Amino acid sequence: MKWIVIGAHLQREDVEPIANVIPIGDLFLSAVAIDDDRPLGDRDVLMQVAAVRAKLLDRATFVAIRYGFAVRDAAEATSKCGGLTTRWRALLDAHRDEVEMTLKIATAAPAARPDRHAFSSGAQYLRALHANAHTADVDPGFRDGVERALVPLTTQHRWMHRDRSSMELAMLVRRRDLENVRDAGEKLRKEFAAVPFLLSGPWPLEVFADDHQQ
Amino acid sequence: MADESQEITLLETLDHLLDRGVVIAGEATISIGDVDLLYLGLNIVLANIDAVARSSQK
Repeated sequence: MKWIVIGAHLQREDVEPIANVIPIGDLFLSAVAIDDDRPLGDRDVLMQVAAVRAKLLDRATFVAIRYGFAVRDAAEATSKCGGLTTRWRALLDAHRDEVEMTLKIATAAPAARPDRHAFSSGAQYLRALHANAHTADVDPGFRDGVERALVPLTTQHRWMHRDRSSMELAMLVRRRDLENVRDAGEKLRKEFAAVPFLLSGPWPLEVFADDHQQ
Repeated sequence: MADESQEITLLETLDHLLDRGVVIAGEATISIGDVDLLYLGLNIVLANIDAVARSSQK
C-alpha cells in the first residue's frame, strides 16, 4: 500500500473522515491509499484524488501538494516534508480563511511555437519555449477591466505566463468574497464578450504556496 | 453545452492537480495517455514540459 499525498492541513479534523491522515510535525497531511502495483497515472486514481481534494477544500483551506508525491508511511513523509512544515504552518495561519481563484485568458495573438529542429540542444529548445511563453499578452482593455473589477476583491494577486496562448491571474480571495468574484467575472463576460476567458475555483493554496511561483 | 462545460471543469481540475501546488522531492514513474511529456526526477515528481521549463528558469 502507498499513500498519495494531497495536501498539508492545520488540523486533523480538516482531513478526517474525508481522507487518511499522516501526522507530520504539528501539521497533518491528507492522503489516499492505493495498492502498490497501481500506477499513479491510473485515470480512476486521478479522478478519486481530484474528488477528495475538492471535498477537503470545502472543509478548510490547505496547502496543495502537486500530484505524484506518494509515501509508504509517516516516517517517509516526515523525512521528505519535515523541512517544509514551518513555512506551511505560516501559510495556513495567514490564509486560513482564503482560497485561490484562477482567471485564464486567451492571448490576443498567440506567438508561433519555436521549431525544435532550429535548436542544437534540448536545453536551448526548452529555454526558447519558456521565453516564447512570456511573449503572450492579453487585450489591454480586458486587463484594465480585470484590474478594476477583480483585483480589488483579492487579498493578493499575481499575473503569470503559463504558455504562449494564454495568461493567468492567480488570486487569493476571502471565502466570503467568492460570490462577489464570480459576479465580477460574469460582468466581465458581458463587457468583454469577444475575449475568451475562464474563471475557476475555489482552489487550495497552490500558486501562493509554490516557491517556484514566488 | 452542459457536456462542454463539464469537460472544461474536468480539464481545469486536472490541470490544477497536475501542475499546481508544492513540488516534493521524490521519485515516481508515471505516464498518462497523451499528455505532452511527463518529467520524472529526484526533485520534480510530475509536471508537464512547460512546468519543467518554468521551474528550470527559476
